[in-house]
Amino acid sequence: MDRNVVGMILGGLVNVAIALLLAPFFQGVLRRVTARIQSRQGPPLMQPYFDIFKLLGKEDIESGETPGMQRVATYLLLATVLAAVCLIPLGFPAPFSGSGDVILLVYLITFSGICTLLAGAAAGSTYSLVGTSREMMMMIALDPIFAITLVIGALHVKSLRLDAVLNGSVYSSGFPAAGLIMLVVMLLAFQAYVGRVPFDISEAETEIMEGPLIEYSGPKLAMFKYAQAVKLVVYAALFVALFVPWGNTFPLPLAFIFFWVKVLVLVLLSTFLAATHARYRIDQALKYYATFLAVSLGAVVLASFGH
Amino acid sequence: MSILSKLMEAQVCLEAGRVTMPYPFQPRTPPTTFRGRPIFDGKKCIGCAGCANNCPAREILVFDPCQEIRVLKYLGRRCTYCGRCADLCPEKAITMSGEFENGTNAIGDISQTIELFMSTCQRCGRCFDEPTEGKRNPLEKLKMKGYRFDDLKNERWIFRSQAYLEGQPVVDDIAIDLKD
Amino acid sequence: MVARDRLNQLKEKFGPAILRSDLPNDRRLHVYIDPASVKAVCQYVFRDLDARYVISIGMDDRPFSGKFLVQHHFAFDADKVLCSLIFPVAKDNPKIDSITSVVPAANWAEREIRDMFGVEPVGHVFPKRLILSDGWPDGVHPLRKDVPWNHVPENFDPEREFKFEEPPEGCTVVPFGPFHPTLDEPCHFRLFVEGEYVRGCEYRGFMAHRGIEKLSETVLGYNDIPVMAERICGICGCVHSLAFCSATEAAAGIQLPPRASFIRTIMLEMERLHSHLLWVGLACHIVGFDTLFMQAWRIREPLMWLCEKITGNRKTYGLGIIGGVRWDITDELKGEVRALLNSIESQWIPVVKAVVGDKNIQARTSGVGICDKALCKEMGMVGPMARAGGVDIDCRRDHPYASYEQVDFNVIVEQSGDVWGRVLVRAKEVFESIKIVRQCLDKMEPGPLVADIKDELPVGRMGMISIEAPRGESHHTVLTGESNRPRRWRVRAPTYQNLQGVPAMIKDQQLADMTISLGSIDPCFSCTDRLETIDIRSGEKKVYSRAQLLELVRAKKA
Repeated sequence: MDRNVVGMILGGLVNVAIALLLAPFFQGVLRRVTARIQSRQGPPLMQPYFDIFKLLGKEDIESGETPGMQRVATYLLLATVLAAVCLIPLGFPAPFSGSGDVILLVYLITFSGICTLLAGAAAGSTYSLVGTSREMMMMIALDPIFAITLVIGALHVKSLRLDAVLNGSVYSSGFPAAGLIMLVVMLLAFQAYVGRVPFDISEAETEIMEGPLIEYSGPKLAMFKYAQAVKLVVYAALFVALFVPWGNTFPLPLAFIFFWVKVLVLVLLSTFLAATHARYRIDQALKYYATFLAVSLGAVVLASFGH
Repeated sequence: MSILSKLMEAQVCLEAGRVTMPYPFQPRTPPTTFRGRPIFDGKKCIGCAGCANNCPAREILVFDPCQEIRVLKYLGRRCTYCGRCADLCPEKAITMSGEFENGTNAIGDISQTIELFMSTCQRCGRCFDEPTEGKRNPLEKLKMKGYRFDDLKNERWIFRSQAYLEGQPVVDDIAIDLKD
Repeated sequence: MVARDRLNQLKEKFGPAILRSDLPNDRRLHVYIDPASVKAVCQYVFRDLDARYVISIGMDDRPFSGKFLVQHHFAFDADKVLCSLIFPVAKDNPKIDSITSVVPAANWAEREIRDMFGVEPVGHVFPKRLILSDGWPDGVHPLRKDVPWNHVPENFDPEREFKFEEPPEGCTVVPFGPFHPTLDEPCHFRLFVEGEYVRGCEYRGFMAHRGIEKLSETVLGYNDIPVMAERICGICGCVHSLAFCSATEAAAGIQLPPRASFIRTIMLEMERLHSHLLWVGLACHIVGFDTLFMQAWRIREPLMWLCEKITGNRKTYGLGIIGGVRWDITDELKGEVRALLNSIESQWIPVVKAVVGDKNIQARTSGVGICDKALCKEMGMVGPMARAGGVDIDCRRDHPYASYEQVDFNVIVEQSGDVWGRVLVRAKEVFESIKIVRQCLDKMEPGPLVADIKDELPVGRMGMISIEAPRGESHHTVLTGESNRPRRWRVRAPTYQNLQGVPAMIKDQQLADMTISLGSIDPCFSCTDRLETIDIRSGEKKVYSRAQLLELVRAKKA
């Protein structure tokens, strides 16, 4: 029993370490590819690491309404996202899968969104409140879609255990109708989850000056940026685990590399979409997601009938 | 068809390739006609003060300490690199160089002073040949009428538009302190 | 109908009120009218004769005629006539009826006359201070002849605050500016927002007012003003410099040599090219589409290099002097210009094709910032704003200057009136500009670059010119004066009128559309809250509050 617990804790730390190490790398790839599409040179691949170190060393100016809550929100956000990381298979089985389950994952993802809302509300400036309200609307539209995907997977494998669900479970044994529908829906909604153009509405830089992040500087901003980078890794890994699971039965080094190659392809696809689109308005985005929600509900019904 | 137009846009981007220049890691020379910092050649200067009278930014001061000595000082603080001084100089003593990296916190790096010993013609008494009607630069025709009485010590450009008349306006320059 | 016909119309209607008239040529009309009938005359000209309002100007003519002059300028675009209605106002307790109730576009111009000259517009709908800073004492009017240019008034009150209007019921206040990532220059729109919808706004601007017109009357001469005029704007500097030169040449009766005229046309069109390419990129950046922003600027960059080669600088060309131009376009440069135009055209065509079919950009710009024909007429809006709303005006065709009468081009008009229409107008005007430059290069003959000015310029003559800047009509008025400097120079940039239409444009729109609506007029306007200083030697930190900072920058250095 003790060995199990120690093993889980070590495994969790390994997951967290991998996520923390690789998240800025993917940001760097993202920035460099975007720059090449824009005919520019782009920053070096290590730039996000430098940025985070630079921000950590800067002075922390606490200029929002309730600095105490701002601190809590920042640390809580990073903590939640890293906790979610421990539940996800990153090329090898997740360390906490024995004790976690699907509902805990949904809860953690939603809670990280709530931390962003807390951060915006705690800052209290006009623009951050506008950004917070937009973020809230986006969350209401998006989190159900994610939950529905996991529910479909759970319906198919008849279990709520993470290691069963996060294994391509959305594709049922018969004609994988619900799975394919959810694949398309999640692909189209992926940009919104990771907060990139065309759906980075809550943080529209040119319109509302960074939204919820407006009163954050120095170390707090570093943690926010880090949390956003880790979120990209989390969602990409979840997507790959749910929809593109082939190859995770290979022996360990190969499966690990294969997994991260798949994540990289997804990140490149997201970058390409971000570089070639303009930002949508909140009402246009909500109309877009309302249709997705309706389609997802249809998919759940199909899944409950065994498809 | 939105996807088609996105692909067309993507094609435009990828055809262009990378266009960023590695300046400042590699120098970038401007074209020969570039108007950079003006360089004054004291050997060619005849002291006509055409440059001083036509500088829009009032950055060239002229002062005669005595009858035979003329001091011309280019300050360079507010120089806009318009190049009129170079256009007007009858001896082509001013060149607009290609230097554009002129940032400095020591004004002495940029300001240039010319001190001339003005000898007069024994017949007509003039120091230099004033260009006649046909050869005069067009800018000279519309220059302000009056005379200069600059304060070199305090670096002030002072223009008196009507000499010796009581109550006539004296147009002063803004005094800018370079030390704080 | 030429200017004389318009004068006859006015004489017929207002006979005894007309004091004097000047007809320099078929296209210009100056009428001196009794100030008691200012409202009736302006109503007749604006509504019955359907003229376009241009600007209102104040002049301090007390040293010469003993009166203030208030001028209202109108344009008859179809007839190519610019007319100036001049109303002499008595110098003691000067006041004149406000025409803003009749001509809504005169709102800011009359407030400016009030701030700068002290001529009170009686019956103005919103007589609040516009130009002068908050602490400036009442009663000191800078553009009057008896106020020196470097005058610091004694009763300057640094504590006096700007009194904002109250927001309407149920609205919160969202401050837009003076500092905002989208804006290049400071301006303050105080938005009254209900949920996500903007219900109204209050504008406060003129934070970068530099007193250029006062300097031109006092310290600078005819030679120096073109160089300063170029620095009024960082994008359309050439327009202002050449507009001043053209207005003075019109006033003094100087004829431009043909080659100089063609070169001016070429450089003005090159400026329009660079400005429109810049704007299309900027509009894409505002809606979050950075890739197209980079591509538009990439296409624009060789144009800046060529201008640097021709004139010596990327943007401040230094081109204009009274009577001609300073730089020549040699045959070798001609070849380079042609090659560049071919390259820009061939690169811009696929971009326009891609943008026109792009639903994603259209979703953000269609139906946003609507400015229809009626609003354009009421607020006197000009340029691509008006042309996108279906109003067919273009100073290059309506009030020709330089060599525009010798080239053929189309005026691009769209009917939609929204931001998308403005994007299309500007994108297509790029091709028209390329056409004009090619024609000029073909038609240019060798010749002198500067006109031979025999005497001093005549004194007391008025010249008006309307030049089509990339943003719209830029209208300059020059009254020539003694000692080689003008008596009065009034610059009316196109954004002056376009900005007055913005509150109506953004009403009942979403907050997210605010930036793109404001960006679509291509605003060219030109403040810090806290400043922290660290003494390097002692390591001591001091944070300046707003009041202390103001005191610091205003302290006179001995």
